[in-house]
Amino acid sequence: MGSFFHRHRGLTPYLLLAPGLAWLAIFFLIPLGFLGYQSLQSGVFPNFEFTWEFANFTDALSTYREHLLRSFLYAAIATVACLVLAYPLVYWIAFKAGPWRNLFLLFIVAPFFVTYLIRTLAWLNILADEGPVVGFLRGIHVLDEDGRLLATTFAVVSGITYNFFPFMALPLYVSLEQIDPRLLEAAKDLYASSTQAFLRVTLPLSAPGIVAGTLLTFIPAAGDFINAALLGTPKQAMIGNVIQAKFLESLDYPTAASLSFILMATILVALLVYARIVGTEKLTG
Amino acid sequence: MNPRMTRDELLRRGAAGTALLAFPSLLAACGGGGGGGGEDELKDVLNFANWPLYIDVDEKTKTHPTLEEFTKQTGITVNYFEEINANAEYFAKVQGPLSQGQGIDRDIFVFTDNSRFPGLLVNEGWVEKLNKDLIPNMVNLVDAQASPPFDPNRDYSLPWQSGMTGIAWNEDLTGPVTSIEQLLEDPKLKGKMTMLTEMADSVGLVMLQAGDDPTAVTDETFNKAIATVQAAVDSGQIRRFTGNDYAQPLTNGDLAAALAWSGDIVQLLSSNPKLKWAIPEAGGMIWTDNMLIPQEGSAATASTYMNSVYDPAVAAQIAAYVNYVTPVKGAKEELAKTDPETASNPLIFPDDETLAQVSQFDSAALDNDEYITLWQGVLGQ
Amino acid sequence: MTTAAETLVPRSRPRAAARAWAFVKRHALTVYALLVCAYLMLPIAVVILFSFNDPAGRFNYVWEGFTFDNWIEWDSVLGLRDAVVRSLEIGLLATLVATVLGTLMAMGIVRYHFLGRGASNVLVFLPMSTPEIVLGASLLTLFLNTTAVFQLGFWTIFIAHVMFIVSFIVVTVKARLIGFDRHLEEAAMDLGANEWTTFRKVTLPLLAPAMLAAALLGFALSIDDFVITYFNAGGTQTFPVFVWGIARVSVPPQVNVVASAIFLIAIGLALGNVLWQYRSAKRTQGAT
Repeated sequence: MGSFFHRHRGLTPYLLLAPGLAWLAIFFLIPLGFLGYQSLQSGVFPNFEFTWEFANFTDALSTYREHLLRSFLYAAIATVACLVLAYPLVYWIAFKAGPWRNLFLLFIVAPFFVTYLIRTLAWLNILADEGPVVGFLRGIHVLDEDGRLLATTFAVVSGITYNFFPFMALPLYVSLEQIDPRLLEAAKDLYASSTQAFLRVTLPLSAPGIVAGTLLTFIPAAGDFINAALLGTPKQAMIGNVIQAKFLESLDYPTAASLSFILMATILVALLVYARIVGTEKLTG
Repeated sequence: MNPRMTRDELLRRGAAGTALLAFPSLLAACGGGGGGGGEDELKDVLNFANWPLYIDVDEKTKTHPTLEEFTKQTGITVNYFEEINANAEYFAKVQGPLSQGQGIDRDIFVFTDNSRFPGLLVNEGWVEKLNKDLIPNMVNLVDAQASPPFDPNRDYSLPWQSGMTGIAWNEDLTGPVTSIEQLLEDPKLKGKMTMLTEMADSVGLVMLQAGDDPTAVTDETFNKAIATVQAAVDSGQIRRFTGNDYAQPLTNGDLAAALAWSGDIVQLLSSNPKLKWAIPEAGGMIWTDNMLIPQEGSAATASTYMNSVYDPAVAAQIAAYVNYVTPVKGAKEELAKTDPETASNPLIFPDDETLAQVSQFDSAALDNDEYITLWQGVLGQ
Repeated sequence: MTTAAETLVPRSRPRAAARAWAFVKRHALTVYALLVCAYLMLPIAVVILFSFNDPAGRFNYVWEGFTFDNWIEWDSVLGLRDAVVRSLEIGLLATLVATVLGTLMAMGIVRYHFLGRGASNVLVFLPMSTPEIVLGASLLTLFLNTTAVFQLGFWTIFIAHVMFIVSFIVVTVKARLIGFDRHLEEAAMDLGANEWTTFRKVTLPLLAPAMLAAALLGFALSIDDFVITYFNAGGTQTFPVFVWGIARVSVPPQVNVVASAIFLIAIGLALGNVLWQYRSAKRTQGAT
């Protein structure tokens, strides 16, 4: 088998990619095609007609611009929060946890086992207005007498941060785990302080993980709607909520479809900008 | 007392125009729902999709006594699916097959008439007609439900349960909240009250407060109501809009008051006697969950089941457990024989005076895309 | 281990304070790590706690009393057991397939420059950036138009899950591949191994932790998915679909029990893994 690959070197990447790409082509691209078709339709449910209705896009963009911006803002804040919170934890797991590392990796992923809704309900319990956390914060005057944590921007962003934490932590771990500790020893031997060793050796080597984690967190967070629905007020509604409502309540499939494409397009643009800043090497390898 | 109906008696009663039914062997040959809609053949399985906790349950055996009884009397097995959690979500799921002319492998599903969906389903022809010959008990339908706007002749639907929308409040946190005006303007309730995401409920109640008629919505009255709610959102008076997830915050003190449904409250009270519920001074709203027969479902089998539900004894059994308002005449009297306490609960068996205070939302307005877009805008989306 | 440089620097601070500071520095990271874990576990602790609650009515919000009943009669809620089994089956299967497909794709993209590489990258990212409701609904459209091949149920859920998980696998494994030291593979080939053997004996073992992390993420995504599953399940119920449905009225404590049980079993397995590693390390120590 090895010689087969050797002789057909040019084919190898295509063979490697074929099964996965085929899956995505059939079960993602084709449905996406339906969606694209739908986004250029007009009319009222269920009698939609294909009319090259590009106005769907312009109308949606102008009406829901605020929601788009808000979604990107929340997603960005949550991503940064995830990065800041996760990095030291993951560093510790990769370098200091020894035989316990798999256990702690499990702690990171475990929240997913209790399903989104139950976790959020538990947070509603913990952050309740009359609960211990809010009581404590009122006591030390971080919150006013009748201040609250729930139904605020803080709650929504915190919810997003909590729910997408593993998406940041796991890729970070993956790239930190492969750093050879001897590199750090070598740096120390060359009179680097711990801080310098970290900044000059560890951080750059973990860059692919940071990039991956950032993408894996930001992209789905921007499209999230559950946190805003359960933890926020109408003022915190994100683009995901709009798409959801257009689809379910308004039965306005063309607008929902065009908004979905707009979301995807803006994320891709953000991705390209990010790639430019970071350098495509780290993005694509 | 309802006569014990054997399968043969049922078939004889439905014999007019359905001679095939008298021959069980022919039924076996006919098989499942192929082309042409399963209108005529009585099947031996009924697939019934409903909302959770909406039928009687025997806690010990985890079965549904009324369904078991139905099976015993008719030989029809009921597969009961508690898969409907919200009108819009469930509709989004089933509209795919329905719009392609396919069935959804169900014979009955249940939608609320204060959403656009029952009307939409009937107008698009995605539901089968009832076989009224098989539903003699339909005479037990309460008069108020005889002719809803979306189905004036009751050709396609029959009510399952009704519910009322009013104001619930926590006695520990606030005095009685008796009006929508108070709800929207009392500074003590600021940030501690919620309204419902359902347009019919929230907008309807606000209209009643303003002296307008929610059964006949105009652009003017609608826009006025929308502006009122929007103002309360902007000022932070309204904390959020909820489905029935007001229960937890109302219990633990996050909310002092909320728009709430009558059935929920009956159940909540057993957890927390500090919760109270009342119809607002200006009036409340009433809505009804309707049984409909999806395209390609078996109208004969579904109708047979619906007939059993409209037997007052059966209706009483269901009402006793579910705690919503039954649409069947005589159920209250039946229940009073075995459970007088529940039978006298005004939330489950409201008297005429109470029923006079509640209105139904204009069903044409429910399907008005502009109104819906405006309302979703208030919800932030 | 002091170096020449360190001994030349005069000790200006008192030794005790310096030692205390060193202690804090050494353990600060550990303390931080434990605090973050506590934060992650906080809602789970609440869920586990309330699985022992004995609620008066239907609502499990207020602590009433302690009971083991919910644990003993955990499958007394109709449909709960089936939903859990379904979720686990789909999760394992979809994760397995997605990990294989995703790892292959990651290797192809990272290690080869070929025509269509950029496009492949974009294609991999797209599902992640599509709102779930859109993914779910549009996939449903496909299935509805091909009912001869696809019947809504277990396999359509499986297909949907693989579809949205595979992107996450690719991105995670790529992060590992990008920093991968090719010299090891080159060394193996210099020693006579062909490409397949090298892959099997050098690349794969080194890639394994990343694949495991990716698989873990994928499994978690599958187990937790609601929106996409809801649209493509037909009548089949997975655990999140079941919970979302019953939460409309109230979440029974038995749901907490199941969620807690899954979590505790997973922790138990991980602890077992730790113990086993410890033991085998000791054994090799003892053997020398």
